[in-house]
Amino acid sequence: MMKQLRKLIFLSLLVSLGLALSIIESMIPIPILLPGMKLGLANIVCLITLVLFGYKEAFVIAILRALVFALATGGFSSLAYSLSGAILSTLAMSIVFKYFSNYFSLIGVSIFGAIFHNAGQLLAASLIMENFKIFSYFPFMTLLSLFTGYFVGLSSILASKNMKKILGEN
Amino acid sequence: MTKGDKCLIALVLLLSLIGIYFVKYYSTNSGSKYISIQVDGKEIKKISFGANMIGKTIDIKTEFGYNKIEIGDGKVRVIEADCPDKLDVKQGWISNKGEIIVCLPNRMVIEIKSETDEVDEIDHISY
Repeated sequence: MMKQLRKLIFLSLLVSLGLALSIIESMIPIPILLPGMKLGLANIVCLITLVLFGYKEAFVIAILRALVFALATGGFSSLAYSLSGAILSTLAMSIVFKYFSNYFSLIGVSIFGAIFHNAGQLLAASLIMENFKIFSYFPFMTLLSLFTGYFVGLSSILASKNMKKILGEN
Repeated sequence: MTKGDKCLIALVLLLSLIGIYFVKYYSTNSGSKYISIQVDGKEIKKISFGANMIGKTIDIKTEFGYNKIEIGDGKVRVIEADCPDKLDVKQGWISNKGEIIVCLPNRMVIEIKSETDEVDEIDHISY
């Protein structure tokens, strides 16, 4: 009982952490202009959850974070894009983390997540606009997601190392 | 950072550079161009380039929102929009075939198309 309560609190803390990170990243101006381009800092939280708890919890966190972000900023028109991106990227990351963690560290997992996040967003956008030419952005986005994915992976390695210690002590 | 990571990074780098090359290649391969304005997936306006069109502005008012586009010498841009982030305004001019400006909140796509699209499907003609 106590253990479950502790896990619940920890997961809700992670959701609010992800929310804070997405709000902060929406304030950071990015010099390269591509529609939908962002740093993906909230993916750190998703990765940490994947490492510490598992894929089920990571899904819950990713979907909750997208919903709460839409509620907090009022950007409900972008909810479809962020939700489809979040679901697809978490799916890709859990598969890579579960079956291919011998080959890839968290950096590789995070790059996979970033690429599939873009794919999900573009898929939702092209379905809503009924124009599949939006996918001509895809190579530009994958190129940029290499850099953001690398740093997101690096910071999640460091963060999850410390968080494992905290979870172990309790 | 494992060996797999490095392979992944190299592979993605290579594939996206090839992808960018193809997008650029197909977008510069143009015949006579025209501007196609689509809202909610349906083409609502076709505008062809010409000397009399340079500097003209066109209002696009739909149920989804308002955009104002400016036509230049073989290029087009959005100068006013009522969407919150104004990414379409910041994108600036587009001039090549296949290039698009998208305004997601207003469901508007401005695309440069070429009239030779159908002819392009013939690879080679021999006599």
